[in-house]
Amino acid sequence: MRIVVLGGGTVGTSIADLLCRNGHSVTVVDNDAAHARRINNEMDVRTVCGSASQSSVLFQADIIGADVCLAVTGDDEVNIVSASMAKGMGARRAIARVYAPVFRDLSTFDYQGHFNIDRMLSLEHLSAMELARGIRNPGSITLENFARGELEVQEVVIREEAKHINVPLKSLDLFKDIRVGSIVRENKMWIAGAEDEIQLGDRITLIGERDDVEKVKDAIQKHRGTKPGVVIAGGGETGYHLARTLENEDYAVVLMERNTERCEFLANHVSRTTVVQADATRRIILEEERVGTADYFVACTGDDENNIMAGVEARDIGAKHVMAIIGRPDYANVVGKLGIGLTVSPRDVMAKQILGFLNTGPVISNMSLTGGDIDVYEIEVLEGALASEHVLAKVPFPSSCLIAAVMQQGYVRVPRADTRLKPGDVVVALIEESQSEEALEQFRVNGR
Amino acid sequence: MKFSDFMNVKAIKAELTAEDKEGVISELVEALVDADAIKEEERDNIVKAIMKREELGSTGIGRGIAVPHTKHPSVDQLVGTVGVSVEGVDFNSLDGEKVQLLFLLVSPPDRPGDHLRALENISRQLRDDTFCRFLKQSKNADDIQQLLEEADNNQFVS
Repeated sequence: MRIVVLGGGTVGTSIADLLCRNGHSVTVVDNDAAHARRINNEMDVRTVCGSASQSSVLFQADIIGADVCLAVTGDDEVNIVSASMAKGMGARRAIARVYAPVFRDLSTFDYQGHFNIDRMLSLEHLSAMELARGIRNPGSITLENFARGELEVQEVVIREEAKHINVPLKSLDLFKDIRVGSIVRENKMWIAGAEDEIQLGDRITLIGERDDVEKVKDAIQKHRGTKPGVVIAGGGETGYHLARTLENEDYAVVLMERNTERCEFLANHVSRTTVVQADATRRIILEEERVGTADYFVACTGDDENNIMAGVEARDIGAKHVMAIIGRPDYANVVGKLGIGLTVSPRDVMAKQILGFLNTGPVISNMSLTGGDIDVYEIEVLEGALASEHVLAKVPFPSSCLIAAVMQQGYVRVPRADTRLKPGDVVVALIEESQSEEALEQFRVNGR
Repeated sequence: MKFSDFMNVKAIKAELTAEDKEGVISELVEALVDADAIKEEERDNIVKAIMKREELGSTGIGRGIAVPHTKHPSVDQLVGTVGVSVEGVDFNSLDGEKVQLLFLLVSPPDRPGDHLRALENISRQLRDDTFCRFLKQSKNADDIQQLLEEADNNQFVS
């Protein structure tokens, strides 16, 4: 595929490198001549020197024939403008990296829709979601990055006898507003179908809007155990997103941040998290905050060395699991030996997302779920697609294909049997690998 | 677009009693529920959505005015209301002043144009100091309704 990467910074170059190694034809645009030359010398890519928000530069980068344009400069506004221009000039898909959360909100203004960009990705948000996944369950389904983050996915283990057990899902009223995504039983995971029954000991995922998911979860789990404790070191964008994600689940979250003003912001913006003004790199403070009793310690201070040190100290004091954000790839090998169980590299997380965008036809993105044969697809409903000809119940999808969510005009809904897809909608589907071709056929138009 | 196109006069609150941001927003949403403009079961979701928007930056635009708003799929047309807090509430406004005058707006997501036009109308009318002063001094909902009508007839905007 032909890919244009706008911005040759650390994120841009690492993605360009990865795409090259995957055999794609890559052009990198950077406005620093010396920098562009260096990239050209080091990698098998074409470079264009100039501003990513100028049409002449984009033209030189052959944006018109590009399959995907990735706007990953260090500047949110440049990324948005240039991704929008790229789309307007003919790139098939355009993705912009943004830092500020406001760009992904649409209550005042719909940036993504207005600028006609396929996805706005926040490195910090993605990293936080990756950490959250590590804490919840490494094999769990993550859909937070799809459907503009409006979807809630939670895992529940069935521990109690109740009337919803051993009954086909389709006859349960309990699940009318949400979807049961997957069932794990005896280490085997599959996509839940209407005929499936939940059994004691199953691990199931619930997909839907947050409040609906919470309601169902409450009904299933009457007795929640003690909350595992999570201590987050660093209240930057990543730490904040992580705290927000976990505090609504069954975790007791403590967020440590050094800066007074940032602490005030955090305290005003979290609900159940305890915000502590403290320097997490100092052992005495970790001891004071009783990090030794924490189930999870997550270091995301924005500085690799500090994260490693804080992680090692926390481990030494007795924190059960230690995780850290590590930016530098060459550190990755060592940190495991230091007792840091999971490291998340923002670049890798971004790269993984972007590889998911290299698709053709109606598929916008796809990702495999770890430890299973299930893929998550984000699919655009095109004019004339078979899937839009009937209500969902009558579309001949294969058995292991679950339409988990439908995004219509920027709003996410959990579909029902009588939902009918319209051109322009975007669906999030869980599909078993062996049936993906058959399922995608319902979305293809004229064989594409 | 005019106030009469989206303001629910039955939900106007001339005397808000709550003393904090979430409180006054809840009070106005509640008033819209009572006026049958918002479904009862969606009340909490809408308050949450409005508060989520506030997190990104206060809608307190200064001079004692705030325009809390959101889009929500449970409404099929624009619904709005006005509330006055005599004491004023802390809203993290741009100028640090307490907010006395609140215009609350909930729009369906599929009409982004209308949503923006309604916000534009509110902010254009609120530029007039006389209009704002009269609103803040209103004793009851009828006074406010009358002021909105006068504004619709361009009696304030020069």
